This record gives sequence, C-alpha cells and structure tokens, in this order.
Amino acid sequence: MAQVLVVDDSSTVRNEVCDFLKNNGLAVTAAVDGNDGLAKLKADPAIKLVLSDVNMPNMDGLTMVEKIRGDLKNAAVNVIMLTTENSPAMKERGKAAGIKGWIVKPFNGAAVIATLKKLVA
Amino acid sequence: MDTRTQVASKMLVLDDAGTYVNSLKAFCEECALLGIRPNVAGNGDVMAVLRANVDLGGILLYENYGGRPGNGLVMAREIHALRPELPIFLRRDAVSSVAGLGERDAAMFRCAYTLATLQQLRESLDASIFSRIYPNALVRGIAEITRASLESLFHGCEVDAETPYLVKDRIIYGEVFTLIAIESHWCRGYMMLQSSEGSVLDLLRGRPGGGDGLTFRDLNGTLGEATNLIWGAFKNRYVGHGTAASAPLQTQVPIVINHQRRYISFGSDDPQLCLKYTLRLRQSPDGPGVPVYQRFVFNLDWSPDEFSENPTVESFVESGELELF
Repeated sequence: MAQVLVVDDSSTVRNEVCDFLKNNGLAVTAAVDGNDGLAKLKADPAIKLVLSDVNMPNMDGLTMVEKIRGDLKNAAVNVIMLTTENSPAMKERGKAAGIKGWIVKPFNGAAVIATLKKLVA
Repeated sequence: MDTRTQVASKMLVLDDAGTYVNSLKAFCEECALLGIRPNVAGNGDVMAVLRANVDLGGILLYENYGGRPGNGLVMAREIHALRPELPIFLRRDAVSSVAGLGERDAAMFRCAYTLATLQQLRESLDASIFSRIYPNALVRGIAEITRASLESLFHGCEVDAETPYLVKDRIIYGEVFTLIAIESHWCRGYMMLQSSEGSVLDLLRGRPGGGDGLTFRDLNGTLGEATNLIWGAFKNRYVGHGTAASAPLQTQVPIVINHQRRYISFGSDDPQLCLKYTLRLRQSPDGPGVPVYQRFVFNLDWSPDEFSENPTVESFVESGELELF
C-alpha cells in the first residue's frame, strides 16, 4: 500500500525522489513509464499522489494522466509533473487533463515536501 | 553551417610592450582580429571594458601587463571570474608554455606564447575563438546550465568549466558518452557528454552516500539524467515555445560510429563547440579531477542570426519549485 507513485524512466531520478519521500515518512512505489504507471495505479487504490516525468518511452506522462482521468476514471488521485519541460503549451495540456502542479527539474525535495504531504493526507 | 567566410573577431589586447605594438597590429590583421585596448592599464578599467563589450572573442594578455611583474596572472583570475567563457592567450617573456603556473591558473589560458612563437598562438586562436561561429551568450548560457545540472546530480562535487573551444576531430573521449538531439527554429544537431567510466564511477562511489555497490548502470543513469537536464534547460532557455521544428518533415543524415577507433561522424566537417568540465569531490579538493567533455554539433541546421533567449521563461536556478494549478 503506497501513498505516492513516482513515474520516471530515469533510475537516477526514481531512486533520488523515492529515497527522499521515504526518508520523509511516505510510502512510495515506482514505475518506469506511463504504461507501468497506469498498471501500478490500477493495482493500488491507496495511492493518493502521482509524481510523473513527461518525456518517457512507451507512454509519456501527459498521455498517462489523460488515461488516468479517462480510461481509469480516477478523478481523485493528485498528479504533479516533475520534468525538464517548461513549455506553456504542455502545461496547458496538463491542466486540461487535471494535473495539480508542475515542477521543473532538478527535484528540490525540501522546497516541496510540505505540499506533497498535504496532497496525500 | 558555412564557415568558409572568416568573420573578424574582437580581441581585448592587454599588452603594453611598446616595441611589440606594430608586429601585434600586423598579426591581428592577418588573423582577422579586431584589437581593442583599454585607455588606462588599471585592472578596474579592464573590468569595465569587459562589462561593456559582451561580444569579445578573446583576450591577448601580457604576463607583466601594466609594468608590474605577475600582474597578468592577477588580471587573468579576475577576468576568468567575470567572463569564464572568454579564451585568454598569455604572452610570456621567457617560455611559450604555462610552465611554472599552478594547475588551476594554467587552466585559465588557452595557450601561452612568446614573440618568437606566434605560429603557436595562431593555431590556438583558430581553435579557440568560438565566437566566430557560436554566439557568446549561447556559449555562456550552455556553461551555466551544464554546471548547474552536473552539480544537482553529482552531490558533493565542485564543477569547474574551462574556456570553451572548437574541435574538428571526431574522436570520442573515454568509454561512455550520451547523445541527444537538439532541435529548434535556429539550430538542429546533437549534444554529447563524454567521460571515462572508471573515474566517474570512482567519483560517484566517493561521495557521501555513495559506496562500492554502485555499478556502471548507476553511472549510465546519472550521465543520462545530466544530459536530460541540460537538454531541458537548453530548450526552456533558447527554443521558442511553439516554434520548434517539425521533426517528421525534416532531413536527417546517418551518424557513423566506429567503436574500434572511438570515432563518431555526423556527416559534416563543421567545427564542434567543445566545453570541458572538471568534477572534484568537495571533501578532497586536491584530489584528481574527473573530466566531462560536452560537444555540440549543429550539422543539420545552423542559423545563429535567429538565435535568441526566451525572455519569459524562468531561469534554471529557479527550477525545482512547485507551481500549483
């Protein structure tokens, strides 16, 4: 039973973010791309927050969010994109899909942990 | 990219040896250099000139500038701190090398020469004055975002950037390199990071929280993510949103890699922009530096006249914060 799902194709980022969240008392699971993220989310209804990259192989992060809201009909889970992308068009697409926020990499856990904890409460 | 027409490059000349003036002037003309001098030889005046001239191609500096022995080295340190991307060429009285200088001081200079070895200077100028092809603002920005990216991933390490330069070889440094396409309305090509597996792995293992359990896969992941961070920051800073090239309609050329010869060809002879970063553990600043080479080759399209920086995008150093919707 995880509270947070971290989706990123980079093992470096996955490990860094997961370790940080675990060290701050959160239960975490990880996925390597959008397809894997959808499967993990479907299998664990306890997940309250998804932290996802945008550019990933097989299925990108924004398509995954659209499928979370559409195919999985999961409107409750909070989604935050963690990405190098900063284009207004991508953010608009994310907003339209119902994401909660956007973080431009690199990940600065100390700056966001309080908000992330509120989102899983 | 067409480099057949040589563009004149503005050089700051900090050399006040009276007997040398005429030969220096002739040399600058031969090399298509436009020499400018500060009115006064004071260090403060030189810094003002540097701030006022953002389009300099480099600096010719005499080791005893201003009539004070060793003043050139003092000035070089100040110049390097203010404009680290500018190549500095050091004229010395006795030897045409950086012999006798400390490692960090020596790294500030693209070459050292004497009046008797101007050919050495000419060759170094050809390889070092990147501003003839690549805009200064772009090169400075690349160095900034790359240093920030490397520092964010290589925790506990200090990252020094040497003066950028041009290369025409196709040799791959080290055993591991990453490659990513750079696409915009003003440039199309690739960026590479190249390094040595053993030394980077030693660096990762030596950091706080590292350890012997780390393998080449961790190294691959770290360099891959560094490439991703630099690529993202480059896009956010220099690629106009909504004007990115439509990739499916554009040309591509084969990239040839010869592992035996450590060789990669992008199908053109364009000079590649090369930046060298040296990573050192902060806990052992005198330990061996680990080099990471970054190369850019814009072999598919290069229109520097259309280069611009996105004014509306938040800078890289402000990243990491959560923007809530």
